[in-house]
Amino acid sequence: MVNHRLLDVTNLKKYYPVAGGLFSRHLRDVRAVDGVSFHIDEGEALGLVGESGCGKSTLGRTTLRLEEPTEGEIVYRGTDITGLDRVGLRELRKDIQMIFQDPQSFLDPRMTVGQSIGEALVIHGIKNSGEREQRVTSILERVGLEGQHAFRYPHEFSSGQRQRIGIGRALILNPKLVIADEPVSALDVSIQAQILNLMMDLGEEFGLSYLFIAHDLSVIRHVSHRVAVMYLGKIVELAEKNEIFGNALHPYTEALLSAIPDIKKKGKARILLPGSVPSPLDPPTGCRFHTRCHRVMPVCYQEEPGLKDMGSEHLVACHLY
Amino acid sequence: MTERHNGSSLARYYWERARKNRLAVAGLVFIIFLILMGLIGPFFTANPTAVNFEEKNRPPVGFAIEESVYDFETQQLVTKTIIGTAKHPLGTDNKGRDLLAMIVSGTRVSLMVGLFATGIAVALGTLIGVTSAYFGGLVDHVVMRFTDIMMTFPFFLIFVLIIFIFGPSLLIIVVVIGLTGWTGTARLIRSETLSLRTREFIMAAKALGASDKRIILTHLVPNVVSLIIVIATLSIPGVILAEAALSFIGLGDPLVTSWGMVLRAGQQNLGTAWWVAIAPGIMLFFTVLAFNFMGDGLRDAFDPRSAV
Amino acid sequence: MDETILKVNDLETHFLTARGIVKAVDGIDFELRKSECLCLVGESGCGKTVAMLSILGLIDTPPGKIVGGQVYYEDVNLVECSGKQMRHIRGKEIAMVFQDAQSALDPVFTIGDQITEQIKLHLGVSNPEAKERAISLLQEVGIPSPETATANYPHQLSGGMKQRAMIAMGLSCDPRVLIADEPTTAVDVTIKAQILDILQRLKETRQMSLLFVTHELGIVSEIGDRMLVMYAGRLTETGQVSEILDHPRHPYTIGLINCLPDMTKTRDRLESIPGTVPSLIDPPDGCLFYPRCSRALAVCSQNRPLPVTVNQGHTVFCHLYSQ
Repeated sequence: MVNHRLLDVTNLKKYYPVAGGLFSRHLRDVRAVDGVSFHIDEGEALGLVGESGCGKSTLGRTTLRLEEPTEGEIVYRGTDITGLDRVGLRELRKDIQMIFQDPQSFLDPRMTVGQSIGEALVIHGIKNSGEREQRVTSILERVGLEGQHAFRYPHEFSSGQRQRIGIGRALILNPKLVIADEPVSALDVSIQAQILNLMMDLGEEFGLSYLFIAHDLSVIRHVSHRVAVMYLGKIVELAEKNEIFGNALHPYTEALLSAIPDIKKKGKARILLPGSVPSPLDPPTGCRFHTRCHRVMPVCYQEEPGLKDMGSEHLVACHLY
Repeated sequence: MTERHNGSSLARYYWERARKNRLAVAGLVFIIFLILMGLIGPFFTANPTAVNFEEKNRPPVGFAIEESVYDFETQQLVTKTIIGTAKHPLGTDNKGRDLLAMIVSGTRVSLMVGLFATGIAVALGTLIGVTSAYFGGLVDHVVMRFTDIMMTFPFFLIFVLIIFIFGPSLLIIVVVIGLTGWTGTARLIRSETLSLRTREFIMAAKALGASDKRIILTHLVPNVVSLIIVIATLSIPGVILAEAALSFIGLGDPLVTSWGMVLRAGQQNLGTAWWVAIAPGIMLFFTVLAFNFMGDGLRDAFDPRSAV
Repeated sequence: MDETILKVNDLETHFLTARGIVKAVDGIDFELRKSECLCLVGESGCGKTVAMLSILGLIDTPPGKIVGGQVYYEDVNLVECSGKQMRHIRGKEIAMVFQDAQSALDPVFTIGDQITEQIKLHLGVSNPEAKERAISLLQEVGIPSPETATANYPHQLSGGMKQRAMIAMGLSCDPRVLIADEPTTAVDVTIKAQILDILQRLKETRQMSLLFVTHELGIVSEIGDRMLVMYAGRLTETGQVSEILDHPRHPYTIGLINCLPDMTKTRDRLESIPGTVPSLIDPPDGCLFYPRCSRALAVCSQNRPLPVTVNQGHTVFCHLYSQ
């Protein structure tokens, strides 16, 4: 079975200008996303993992053009959406949707759940309120809630239930690609499991592709087919899930994997990364990770490594290879 | 249920809550009373502009004053005691106008000025504040500088100038107050909108394809409604006082009997006919208090943190 | 060294709300021994933070109040202490590190000022001496260039650094007990590892007792000696960490462990615990986990389970084991 290419992102950059000085001159840029390329096929889930400040959320938002890219190309199903006009963008929303992180904040507190979910239908011209109600009820049931919940307000629901509502809202237009920005980070462990299962089930049922953004590697492992690791605006490693977890090549990936507290392996040797993530305003020269790398070499200070294919589509950006 | 809160701390807690609410309720009751008075009062009172020099300077019911009157027959100053009657329950001013009627008329005026001027100011301020915060960047910058400039204008001089050119009229007063009083609201609404704008539900609406107009009207404005209500309630006293002040110094509409105008009339005879100034003074005092209490109460009611 | 530093007996803390009385902590007992790390585990809303605040007398009264039980710190019942006595104990004897360093640190004072303020308040030493102590504390928690760091304001520090500064503040007066309320929840994975490492070291070098509140079982396995599992304001299981994680007994504990995305096994679906945490207002009779328990018995809906010792030091609150 050939999986069609759904999304192709090439050299995407998102810079935020920093103004300063007496006349608010453009001084520097916060290089949140600094040249990222990846692709997603139909029906697959790409996990995007990294710590805070690495640019993964920005990448997610820029891919769907909630933020305007500074440079680069985003091709969705053969069409370049980077320069799409307002009308085209609106149409695109039916195909690419987003799930958000904070259950306290991603639902309008003044609208009922039904109105929040149904808003997408209103925006895209479904005038018949009867039809909207029916579709809202149907989606609510699909995500594990009840039709009558449509008349309640967000504050009457728990965090886990709100995330289900958020998922319902994203899916009501039958998108092909869903960008999930840390959808379970704010939830308790037992609820995380429920929501992850739901997302995986719906993914199969609706034939969805996911760009799953998270900072928790163990969560990524469960939902992804392939995994991309980001550091300071760039992808440092990208491979099939089992390759990443069984055969991590980049030192940062190694450190991330070893930092995960595991109840089965108490007291195992951990790679402790010194210091903290440098500022994206002023990334280190050469390889961005060289300031904290436990396997750093002289060349790392000078030259930035490009992504190299190590075979079977395992890409890594590191001078060790 | 093991309820072992000791008596005094629980009582104190409830007392604090009830006390705040009680003032707000008192304020609300007074305002309802004012509205009723303004609506149906004029049907029961005399004509506030009816001049009657025979009955000038009558004191209120239950009071008696001594008046020196020049008796033409005896060619002497005779002291007469004049007692207030029920015909003029609050007394009359130096032109014989019934004070109660004037107060009632003034109630109407104050409430209407309060309602319309505040309405204009708050509506304008909200629109400007929300739009400015939503679009951010250059738009926000320009609009806020404009707001700053408006805030520094000496309004009083503007009033005087406009009234000087166009003549005093209640309509002008209402419109001018409305068109100049939006700045405070704009700032408050803008900062609230700024914090709302970063909430994920706004981004979610964008992700669904919502237009800017839709986001502003359907998402941002309803979420600032509670703030708008509080701002409006707390602005009304200021507006009422502004109108009263203008009337007091003679810039008010001479065809309209407002509290400020009564104050002006009473100011001249403070020594002899003190009731003329006291009555509108008391009304202004309690009206301002009432709106402030109610506004505080509303703000507490809307603030999730003060609720338990 | 089995010396008991802190002993909590049947602690009950309730909150009076418009909808009724919330029994946030509904009768918990535990002991904290010298130099041990006791982990208090539970999901959000289980009452673990309220329990810690109750120990330190930091519950807002009204609407909350400690309605029952005792908290013994070296033979003194903290529940009955006056505000003045508690202020003496807080920071000096028992210190607390909060979850969100961002909001726990005062943004208008430098890190140095905030630490020295504590030191001068409790230990009454001179300014220069306090400053020296502050510098050595910052060094102890691994903040680079501590002398210059004291002049930094909170916003100038990264998340991990802020967290360390908070730990330094907690340690400033050499407390015997350090309560850490989810100190690693709001930080990145690699910083988490650093923080845990620091806490581990500090526990050893200072012979300090650590009361660690968390919802992450992985962390408990790394740093905890003993653990307590809380659910809806009550205890469900207590004992040695290794014992409980290898042989969990209570269905809730088992469920929690099974929910974890496991790094060693690849499963298609994650197990989850169906349902949600019950309301703590007017809780029903019986075990509060009953509606979500896959192994519930009839008695579970009627009687609250009593503690049963299933192994040395391992106690479960579950009717399945009371035969």
